[in-house]
Amino acid sequence: MTTTHRGRVQLWIVVLVLLAAAPAQAYIGPGAGFALLSSFLVVFTTLILAVLSLLTWPFRTLWRMLRRRQRGRPWIKRLIVVGFDGQDPVRTERMLAEGKLPNLQKLADLGCYTRLRTTYPSISPVAWSSFGTGVEPAKHRMFDFLEPDRKSYLPLLASTRIRPGSRVLKLGRFRIPLQKPEIRLTRGSKAFWSILGEANTWSTVLRVPITFPPEKFYGAQLSAMCTPDLLGTQGTFLLFSTRPGGEKFKEGGARFPLRQNGNGYEGTIEGPENTFLEGTPPLTLPLAIRPDAARKGARVSVGDEAVDLEPGRLSDWVSLVFPAAPGVKVRGICRMMLTEMNEHVTLYVTPLNIDPENPAMPISHPSYYATYLAKRVGPYATLGLAEDTWALNEGVIDDGTFLKLTYDIDRERRDMFMASLERQRGGTLTCVFDATDRIQHMFWRYTEEDHPAARGKDPGPHKDAIEKHYLHNDAFVGEVMGRLRKGDLLMVLSDHGFTSFRRGVNLNAWLLAHGYLKLKEGTDGSAEWLRDVDWSATKAYALGLAGIFLNVKGREGEGIVEPGEEARQLKKELISQLSGLRDEEKNQTGIREAFDTPGLYQGPYVSEAPDLLMGYNHGYRASWDCATGVVSGPVFEDNTKAWSGDHTVDPRLVPGVLFCNHAIDAEDPGLIDMAPTVLRLFGQTPPPHMDGKPLFERPPGEKKRSAAAPPRAA
Amino acid sequence: MSYVNAALRPVFDLLLAPFAGLPPIVSLIVVSLLTAVLMLVVFKRTSNQTALAGVKRHIHAGLFEIRLFNDDLRAILRAQGEILRHNLTYLRLSLAPMVWILPPLVLVIAQLQFHYGYEGLRPAEATLLRVDLKPETVSAGIRPEAALDLPPGLIAQTREVWIPDEAELAWRLVAEREGDFEIGVRIDGAPLVTKTLRVTRRVVRLSPVRVEPGVLAQLIYPAEPPLPADSPVQAIHVDYPDREVSALGLGLHWMIPFFVLSIVFAFALRGWFKVTI
Repeated sequence: MTTTHRGRVQLWIVVLVLLAAAPAQAYIGPGAGFALLSSFLVVFTTLILAVLSLLTWPFRTLWRMLRRRQRGRPWIKRLIVVGFDGQDPVRTERMLAEGKLPNLQKLADLGCYTRLRTTYPSISPVAWSSFGTGVEPAKHRMFDFLEPDRKSYLPLLASTRIRPGSRVLKLGRFRIPLQKPEIRLTRGSKAFWSILGEANTWSTVLRVPITFPPEKFYGAQLSAMCTPDLLGTQGTFLLFSTRPGGEKFKEGGARFPLRQNGNGYEGTIEGPENTFLEGTPPLTLPLAIRPDAARKGARVSVGDEAVDLEPGRLSDWVSLVFPAAPGVKVRGICRMMLTEMNEHVTLYVTPLNIDPENPAMPISHPSYYATYLAKRVGPYATLGLAEDTWALNEGVIDDGTFLKLTYDIDRERRDMFMASLERQRGGTLTCVFDATDRIQHMFWRYTEEDHPAARGKDPGPHKDAIEKHYLHNDAFVGEVMGRLRKGDLLMVLSDHGFTSFRRGVNLNAWLLAHGYLKLKEGTDGSAEWLRDVDWSATKAYALGLAGIFLNVKGREGEGIVEPGEEARQLKKELISQLSGLRDEEKNQTGIREAFDTPGLYQGPYVSEAPDLLMGYNHGYRASWDCATGVVSGPVFEDNTKAWSGDHTVDPRLVPGVLFCNHAIDAEDPGLIDMAPTVLRLFGQTPPPHMDGKPLFERPPGEKKRSAAAPPRAA
Repeated sequence: MSYVNAALRPVFDLLLAPFAGLPPIVSLIVVSLLTAVLMLVVFKRTSNQTALAGVKRHIHAGLFEIRLFNDDLRAILRAQGEILRHNLTYLRLSLAPMVWILPPLVLVIAQLQFHYGYEGLRPAEATLLRVDLKPETVSAGIRPEAALDLPPGLIAQTREVWIPDEAELAWRLVAEREGDFEIGVRIDGAPLVTKTLRVTRRVVRLSPVRVEPGVLAQLIYPAEPPLPADSPVQAIHVDYPDREVSALGLGLHWMIPFFVLSIVFAFALRGWFKVTI
């Protein structure tokens, strides 16, 4: 039936029904009821909410005025911070000079452009923590992604502690939790959004790293880096395949078999642990793949959801609902792609993200904010490191698929940001975009000659992936500038720059070679997480990306180095040997300088930092083995993974960038100066414990240069 | 229309027969459930589910926004405006499925009205039998010749009363026992026309009026076949008392629980049927 004809039929039916309407006044019935009742409920709820808001507004305002801290008059109406994680000044400046970044150039012409000092070490969790708190890492406690448990030497996620509730009611094989699990942010110090909130200044904080679990303050926050997936990991992709065997993935992935069943294939998706059952077995969902020869694809069913896939094409977000107990469901979302469908069938599934519409863990403040955003912009990635770098590293997906995933996530983030920009009328709006970092990590190999990770590989259309993304960022800045209002201050910044990662340095292998680390008898040092180390004879070890820890007596579980003079001497010795460490094979310096951490900064958490931080040279970084506590192998080795660019080097080599639509008053700004700057812009005096200094001495736009004027008291 | 009704009457009689001896609310629950399922299926097939889901998402976002920015009156007003705008879109999107839902629903409700809208007569309970004549068959000042053919068990308590202004003849009848009766009426020697009368406590189809042929008349009064087109009789009425359905201790018109229950069932089952409403 054509649309016109169908429309005409509908019209006639309406006419007939209306003709019969007089005696059939009640015949409206449930059909119209669906629509009318829903609409009525919406209008009714809207009005109730609005009336409640209006009625309670004076009381809430009074309550906040009574509770709020003193503040001066704000210098600006809104502060908008666009964070491009890892935007590198060298590339940015070159592209500016070539006229390729007109919007950033315009921003610089309006106000300023400068390089931005980063933190020691120059890693996102550390840098963004200093951005938020305005303090050195010794005061916020973030030094790396991972930190060792000083008793067991096993790795812990540095930013978060998750402990299941200990009180449980046992009923046969069933377990009923009587206590919520404890999820705690271990980052110390107070972020500017919390301080502003105490003075009734609203902040929206979108995907700024190290905000899981979210903080409670006057504003809204969506958690970012270190938010786990549904399995509780930092991102585990799933690979279902009919191919037998296959090596275990080194990072972030798990293989599952696909069994043939008639014309189709079957498998099982394993979800989070079911804490309602003894032994906490994983929650599962049946997976079925039914090839459809006519469409050259397959229908993939997971639980009640079904999606039609073509090989090589990513699905949209697919909803996964794991039934845990009667009335209890754990919800996640993932994307899928058939990577092969010939002799063998293989299905790639992204890490199972927490469903933002029904989050299984707290990922936002207020708790409904994640749901609100999902309603506003649709489903979105919630995993901390959402772009699946591991899958590309392992060769499970190709460059194009990775870019598609990354750009889709970037679009989700931009939609959220734009929605907030449009709606928020005052306070601060900060959003961090990770794509710049991820694309540089994964595509640096194509930007230089003979990168070990690009040998024998055709970059295809992705040779300029990084530059294209910088253009993409520039266009976005133009869009944001077009939506600025009077009284807005816009900052575009990055937490660090970028450089090549051609050679990995295994500090544990070096420590072993130089006698500072010993292996247990009968082991070869190939076990992960330092399991082969003989602690009774080991003086120093490395874990993570940042540096070296001494095995200090009384601090480490089996420490042997006496704190005090012996430790000082050991550090001195190590610094002298590691600073300027040569990579003889390449005739280059691998480590420019090893830093004594307490010499860089002081604070209550300095003792929890690596005792030495490594300042690697361009092209060098802690090797993959070193990061995961493997001791065996060479000290220097080629990095052949797609993850071919990095920033965990001497922080002086990788500053970030800062663009602002107003000129700043500081000569050598640092990321650490942002929090005190924000406070000053909103009429607050930065607290004395902050290490950073405000970048403005006077209200932005005021031409006369004068001494820093303290904000007037309210 | 009379063919449609002829097909539907036995269907509903059969469907509701098992419940005839039970309180009406019982069968009403079942009927509401079946109606909800039918409506969900039709709604799913005839609506733009993607667009509906999208507009509902925006409405929910607006509601969250009122809560989120509850200190900002302008933001609240803006959110309200957006919600109302999306609500109108929602109503527009609901129009097409409503168009498809209403016709079958009109037929269903018309049938149900004659099962639940009236109570059967009781033995010894008097009722009026009224026969409306077509105005063009009545000559001014002349009383039509009327003959009533009553089956055993049914008694006329009065002679016919002629109301010229209404062109109506009326008898008072009373039944001696429970049962289904067929009354015959002959006017001025024209062929006999009949009308059912039911004396029962059960929930069954009752026809308070038999009408002349016509789409609209048959749409509204489907409980009996139409009168012959050439008959001088326009309609025959039997006055049954109105029925009230007992629900939650209240006596309600059957449409109220039907409306509420069918909507409740529809909302409850929408997830199972994967329908956005």
